[in-house]
Amino acid sequence: MKQILLITDGCSNVGVSPVVAAAQALAEGITVNVVGVLDQGDLGEFGSAEIEEVARAGGGLSRLVNTRQLAQTVQMLTRKTVAQTIQQAVHRELQQVLGTSSIESLPPDKRGEVVRVIDELGETSKLRVALLIDGSASMKPKLHAVEEAIRDLALSLQARQGQSEIAVFHFPGSAYGDDCTLDLDWTTNVGGMTQFLPRLQMKGTTPTGPALMHVIDFYRKADYGNRKNDETDGMMSDYVV
Amino acid sequence: MITSFEWTLPRGTVIKGKWKRNSYRVERLLGEGANGKVFLVERQRSWYAMKIGADTVDLQSEVNVLQSIAKQRKGSRAEPYLVEVDDMRALDGKEYPFYIMRYIRGATLSDYLMKQGMDWFPVVGYSLLGKLAELHDGGWTFSDVKVENVMVADYGRVELVDYGGVTAMGKSVRQFTEIYDRGYWNAGSRTADARYDLFSFGVLCIQLHESQRLAQLTASLLPQNRMPEELLKLAHANPRLKPLTGWLRQALNGEFKDAREAAGSWRQWMHRPGQRHATPAPSWMKGLFVASAALLATTIYWLLNS
Repeated sequence: MKQILLITDGCSNVGVSPVVAAAQALAEGITVNVVGVLDQGDLGEFGSAEIEEVARAGGGLSRLVNTRQLAQTVQMLTRKTVAQTIQQAVHRELQQVLGTSSIESLPPDKRGEVVRVIDELGETSKLRVALLIDGSASMKPKLHAVEEAIRDLALSLQARQGQSEIAVFHFPGSAYGDDCTLDLDWTTNVGGMTQFLPRLQMKGTTPTGPALMHVIDFYRKADYGNRKNDETDGMMSDYVV
Repeated sequence: MITSFEWTLPRGTVIKGKWKRNSYRVERLLGEGANGKVFLVERQRSWYAMKIGADTVDLQSEVNVLQSIAKQRKGSRAEPYLVEVDDMRALDGKEYPFYIMRYIRGATLSDYLMKQGMDWFPVVGYSLLGKLAELHDGGWTFSDVKVENVMVADYGRVELVDYGGVTAMGKSVRQFTEIYDRGYWNAGSRTADARYDLFSFGVLCIQLHESQRLAQLTASLLPQNRMPEELLKLAHANPRLKPLTGWLRQALNGEFKDAREAAGSWRQWMHRPGQRHATPAPSWMKGLFVASAALLATTIYWLLNS
């Protein structure tokens, strides 16, 4: 299972629309969740509308929160999306096997076994979450909370039985002309790291869309590398494309 | 984070199950869990608790756990917990899953101790450790041990409520509350094991005695400074908890092998010498002493003078 979690506090202003980019991610089997962080003031109508739309296009969920709730929200969204992805796959199976499309339409006595399978897959299937952090000026005071949320997420994922990895990106990129920079390559453990997002002042633009495209590309390359010597995606690869 | 529904059910509402056609009359709201609401309901002059879930898979997952526990306990004297599983149609036109369970009459842990007095704390704590040990024996952790999830009936009899967090040992904890969470305090993983529950139990002891200071502490500490040692400092500063600091240290640092060992050590603390006289003599007793001394003096004076 592949997820992108976008943490931002504003509107994108350059490049391809993030809604288009999110739709492309979904088409490639990556679910996109979005968390809007607001502390002082608000995102404005336009910002919150964009956040909701990006998540909808990316087949994921969106939430607007303050920094205090960030860790809990990131954790909850990831967990919910894992459950959702598996349920969608199981729903397809149900349709084929039983001719019904939802668990709700089964009588309660019959639900037990289906849900047991869902729970088991949710715990054991391989999971990758790429975190994409908006590093524009207004996000700077919030980066501590973002790092804390990432550490907390890593802790929860480590407890899963299935292999779970995270990667961290921020945008705009540190180098001129870069849409987005990789801060942390796929890892299972961020335990000792206290600061992994740069605090340097970056360019004033917010290229959310191009950054999303960059991460999709990163996933694509990783998949290409894996295909040669890795067939261990397990049963989920049959279900989730 | 609560992912529940907004509506509630007014008193007197009759809910009819979609599949089994049994009717229940709603009395009042009992509580709200992370994934649903629990109502007190009546059917054929018996009281039950009805949990209505926001999500079918979530609720069924909880039902699965309850059924597994019931199967394990078959033949024991324990009353069955789960009674029935069905769906209902709410006023918003949507269908919601629910299950019916035994109604546990009692007060929440903090209410109970507030009303009956802190003298009950050691007994209630011991009883709660016993409940956890029972669950652990079956291969489960409760995971979401917190003040709100512990009900106390007469004479300190304890029941755990909200089985939404119950997790098979070795898997990732399904539901937790930040300040009771071992991971939050940088004291270990979120993998379900007996020590996870014992950690939360330790925080619960502190929450019961120092809820305000604990809230202040969590608000002011930097994430990297959250450590069991900080919790122990709170315990040490509280006269009632101070003698328990040694026990708490072991619970918070994961040094107990399991809940039985923790309960054994708790019992020793309960019966330690001096515990029974720990509370200062009540003022009425002092008054009585002064009165009887005065009476004696008067008697002697009278005897000597006669």
